[in-house]
Amino acid sequence: MNLLLIAMILALLIPMYEAWQDEDIWQKMLAFASIATKTSVMILVVSVLRDDWMIGVTGVIILSVGNAGLMLLAHVIKRVNDGVM
Amino acid sequence: MIDNYITAIVALLPLAAIMLTVQVNPYNALVIRGILGAVAALVYAVLGAADVALTEAMVGTMLSITLYAVAVRSSLVMRLGVLQDGQSEAKPIPDTASPLIEKLRAVARKYHLRLELVPYPDRQSLNQALLEKEVHVTCVAQSSPLETSQPYQTMTRIRRLHDIFQTELSALTTLTYLTPPTSGEQ
Repeated sequence: MNLLLIAMILALLIPMYEAWQDEDIWQKMLAFASIATKTSVMILVVSVLRDDWMIGVTGVIILSVGNAGLMLLAHVIKRVNDGVM
Repeated sequence: MIDNYITAIVALLPLAAIMLTVQVNPYNALVIRGILGAVAALVYAVLGAADVALTEAMVGTMLSITLYAVAVRSSLVMRLGVLQDGQSEAKPIPDTASPLIEKLRAVARKYHLRLELVPYPDRQSLNQALLEKEVHVTCVAQSSPLETSQPYQTMTRIRRLHDIFQTELSALTTLTYLTPPTSGEQ
């Protein structure tokens, strides 16, 4: 199971590199969405690994509510880009 | 007792923090701040602090970056007062000023500003708006364009914008720096 987590950490490095390199704001938002989902799934894996329900509930809440913040930020950035046009 | 995957997860946190500090564009920095919040929530949950992780995910990545995006959007703006065309009400931007406005837009994008055009009916209300701090810059076409090589006349009341324009577009317009009538905040 440790190997699984190490593989997930390596997979997490891919969108972090993408967010660092790409200058386009929407590519950065995509990388943010990818990282937010990956980290919450990693929290769920750790909770199963340790048989800890408290961490598991936290992971579920972060996984479900984290996308709402992403949507709010995307709307604000979209309106900024529309104002420039 | 400490597994080696915990070390690898905790090492992600300074990596994301360094990524955040090297950003120049404020909007990109906000997105990276969201990534930092997600990684921090992961680290807190793995280390056993579920309540701290939940707070970081709710406040750090949702509330704070949304509020900061609104704040950056409303503060990083350069309002440009222009004269309205008398004939066409629907089109507030006069055609004669369009090359200068394109240039101003390029300069504003370079400094991560947002250019907002504010139309005014005549020259007097334009100057009044500049004095009353409704706009930052005013831009009008020169009344006799044949006499000079600079076809536009630009006035600003902000020293920093004046310095930027002097280096960027002195070939296209004459620049006037308007000293604020009341000494104090600018």
